[in-house]
This record gives sequence, C-alpha cells and structure tokens, in this order.
Amino acid sequence: MMNTISRFDGFGLGLRRTHYADFLDGDVPVDFVEVISENFMVDGGNPLRVLTQVREKLPVILHGVSMSIGSAHGLDCEYLRRLRALAERIEPLWVSDHLCWTRTSAHNSHDLLPMPYTEEALRLVCDNIDHAQEALGRAMLFENPSSYLTFPEDEMREWEFVAEMAKRSGCYLLLDVNNIYVSAHNHGFDASECLRALPHDRVRQIHLAGHTDGEIKIDTHDQPVCGGVWDLYREAVALAGPVATMIERDDGIPPLPELLDELDVARSIAAGTRSKVAA
Amino acid sequence: MTLAASQKDFMAQVLDEDHALPDGWSARHAAGLAIYRNNYRTSLVEALRSTYERTASYVCEEAFRQAAVHHLITHPPKSWTLDRAGDGFPDTLRELFKSDPEVAELGWLEAAMQRAFVAADAAPLDAAGFAGATALFTEDDWSAMQLAFLPGTALAPVEHDIPALWRAVDPDGESPSQADRLDAPMHLLVWREGLKPVFRLIDRSEGEAMAALLGGTSYGDACAMLVDRLGEEAAIAQAGAMLGRWLHDGLIESVSSPAARG
Repeated sequence: MMNTISRFDGFGLGLRRTHYADFLDGDVPVDFVEVISENFMVDGGNPLRVLTQVREKLPVILHGVSMSIGSAHGLDCEYLRRLRALAERIEPLWVSDHLCWTRTSAHNSHDLLPMPYTEEALRLVCDNIDHAQEALGRAMLFENPSSYLTFPEDEMREWEFVAEMAKRSGCYLLLDVNNIYVSAHNHGFDASECLRALPHDRVRQIHLAGHTDGEIKIDTHDQPVCGGVWDLYREAVALAGPVATMIERDDGIPPLPELLDELDVARSIAAGTRSKVAA
Repeated sequence: MTLAASQKDFMAQVLDEDHALPDGWSARHAAGLAIYRNNYRTSLVEALRSTYERTASYVCEEAFRQAAVHHLITHPPKSWTLDRAGDGFPDTLRELFKSDPEVAELGWLEAAMQRAFVAADAAPLDAAGFAGATALFTEDDWSAMQLAFLPGTALAPVEHDIPALWRAVDPDGESPSQADRLDAPMHLLVWREGLKPVFRLIDRSEGEAMAALLGGTSYGDACAMLVDRLGEEAAIAQAGAMLGRWLHDGLIESVSSPAARG
C-alpha cells in the first residue's frame, strides 16, 4: 500500500531560471515552489546547487513532463531511477506528472500526447502508475492534460477516466483548471460538470495558467490567467478545499512581482470562497 | 488496433506530416494532430537553439532552423531528456555546412559546454594531493598510471580559432561572418572550474596525449606517443609541463596505478 499524501494549504510559483536570483537572494512570499523535475535530473552542477539552496528555504514540488505514464511501451527504468534519486535528495512535498504519453520504444516526442479514454488505456495507465509509485517508493499526483483531439474509440469521458484511475491506482490528482477550461472548449464539454465529477478528496494541488485562444485553444503557459479560468478556480477551491495552488508560467515569463500579484488574486479568491463555504 | 499500435501510429504522424491519418479520422482530428506536430517541432528546435545559441547566431536564424529540422528528421529524439535531443547535432552541422567547417567546431564547443555544465560534481586534485597520491609510486607505477579527469572534460580537434569566434558571436545580436583559421590544427579542451564550464586551445601533441588518457591509455603509453612525435628530450619536458598545467587548471580528479594495486 502506497503512502498517503497530506494536504498542503499554500500558494506557490514555478521556479524558473530567470527568477533564480530572486529566490536565492531574497525571501519571496510564496509557500512553495514547483520545478520541472527533468531540469534537475542531472549529474551535478549549478542547477542542482540552486535547487538545493532553494529547498533550504522553501518546500519544493517535483513536477515531471517525461514519465509517459500512458505509454503502452512501458516506463523508462533509468528515468525512474534518476527521479527517485532526485526525490530522495530534495525531499519534495510530492512528485507529479501528467496523464499522457510522450514516448514509444523508438522515439520521444517531448510533448504531452493524448490518451484514448478506453478500458484498455485505463488498465495500462493504472499498471504503469503502480510501477512508478513502486519504483519511487511514494504515491504520486497526476495532472489532467489539455488536449487538442479526442479519439473515435473513446469509451468514457475524461473525468470518468481520471476518477477511475485515482480509485484503482491510489494516486492523487493535480487539478489543472486551465487544462479543463482549454479541453472543455476544444471538445465541447461543460467545464463545471467535469470539475464536479472528479474525486475532490484525491486532489492535492491546483495549477493555474494562461493559454492561447483560437478555434482550438492551446495550453501555452505564456500569458496571465484569464477570467474564465479564475471563475473555474473559484468552483475548484469550493469543491477541493484547502490544497496547494500554483501559477505556471513557462514562456513570456514576466518579472517576479507580476507573478506574485497574480498569485495574490488566487489567494484572495481562495480566501473568499472558503469563507463562503464555511458560512 | 491495440493501444501500442495506435501510439506507434500517432507518433509516426507527429514525426511525419505525410503519414496517412487513421481510418475514421476527420478534418477536426487532423487539426488537433497538427497542433501536436507543431508543438513537437517547435519545442525541439527551441531546445536545440537554446544549447547552440552561438551557432544559431553565427549561421543566421533561418539556416539554423533548417539544420535543426533536418537533424530532428534524421535523428528523432529517443531519450527522456531534452539535453540529449542535440546528440549528433555537430555531425549534422559538419554534413550541412561542408564549406564552413568552423560551424561544426563551434557547435561541438557549445554541446561540450552544456555537458560540462551539468556533469557530476567532483573535487580536483591539487599539486599536494597529486604528490601524496603518487608518493609511493615505483617506476612501473608511473608507467601504468591512469589519470581520471573531472567529469565533463572533453576535447576535440579544431582547425579554427573557435575561442575567438565564441567571444565574437553575440547570441542575441551581431556575429562575425567568418572564423580565423589556426596556423596549425590544435585541440579544444572543455572542462568545469567549480560551477563554470571553461575552455582553451591546446597544441596537437598535448591534445593527442590527453585524448589517449581519456580513452584509458596509461600515462606511460601516452608519454611514448609524445616521444614518437617530439623526440625523447622534448617529450619529457612536454609530459611534465602538461601534467603541471592539468593540475594547475584543476582537470585531474584522481590518479591510480594498476601496478601499485597489484
């Protein structure tokens, strides 16, 4: 039986290279930082030095993009070994990745490719989660992805797949509100219905981010969180309760104060929503 | 179709826009797939540009983009780490820029600097440490001595003044139109000082000796190579001088001698 992951009620940002000095030299008013695991799954050098020093100040979350938990070609044992070594060194709040696949046995796309929502895929994902959690010696969080197409062979809705995945594997959920917003637009489902149908007791973290509008919305993490995503966040906080919230920005990264202002919006929405729920 | 087969087919479509869509896929599916294909190509070209920023500036953006796309088609990434997406890219540059061989040399330097940047941490041996480690060496021990260089240490033969080119190229702005050819071929040596990757040119005899040592050749055999190239007297002087420089520059992690162990 995998260990449980306790709730962590806080607000954080992604630790990106452009802000290293801010975090190393000052006291940035965040409760945690999240890093892209793969950027630190290296043998040594400055990246690990920075992360180790930041870890002395703040809790850290390891968020991966290359586990390929939905791969029908198995997990990469060398990847898991390196991730475990990093986790043992950093002692993160938790380790997360995405419900997607990135690789076959021959190639790696380095992109979060979509899963068909079928019983075959569900069984495979749960087997892979068992393998990953066993290899890491800890339970993990998995994030609902943005997607740009659905498959003709789908047998269930995304939220049914995610709920069953959490139930069968015992994994926790990283709820990306922007991804729900983007996928709801792209596939014509009701974002609020999706939110309500997810197992809220398994949610440990919420991601907020910006996207690029168009006939098909794209999850680009290159602009501020939009109004529709803030509205959905309000609903998510009411449903999930006190969990970690973080803003992801991976491109067009602004000065840190701008991101901190955006994080204050999240704090304010969460406080307002929780006080209403409590009342 | 099994999930494994459908993922293999999906990957083929991401890698190759001419790959036929599966039966039953609509124009809407094709539009979604085009986003994944674009994400793949854009993010990987960007990853190559990030590692090879001076090379990109030197050959100009469009030429670099074409080279990067060519490399991704001929060498689609296999590893989980984006750091490996550029494996073999200097060879691709050598093939594509045949009349400008300094392009591949500059590309090699950028790749080696990136590898050194994230190489394993290790403390270099100083002169006192080296003296201590070899204090009880016999003549046979010296001859059989193996040098372990700091992780990330790399060298390659070059025919152009790549250090000068490196300094002259602005990754975000102007770049010279050509590189100066060296009077004689040399080796370019990359290693890490503390957290910072550094490089310098070394002459051919030192480069060949170091390449042999990096490949596992004993110190005695490397010295024999120097004797063949320089003659005995000059080789003795060169061997002592280069060992002193390597210790001074913090290039050597440890020394050992199979003879001493045996």
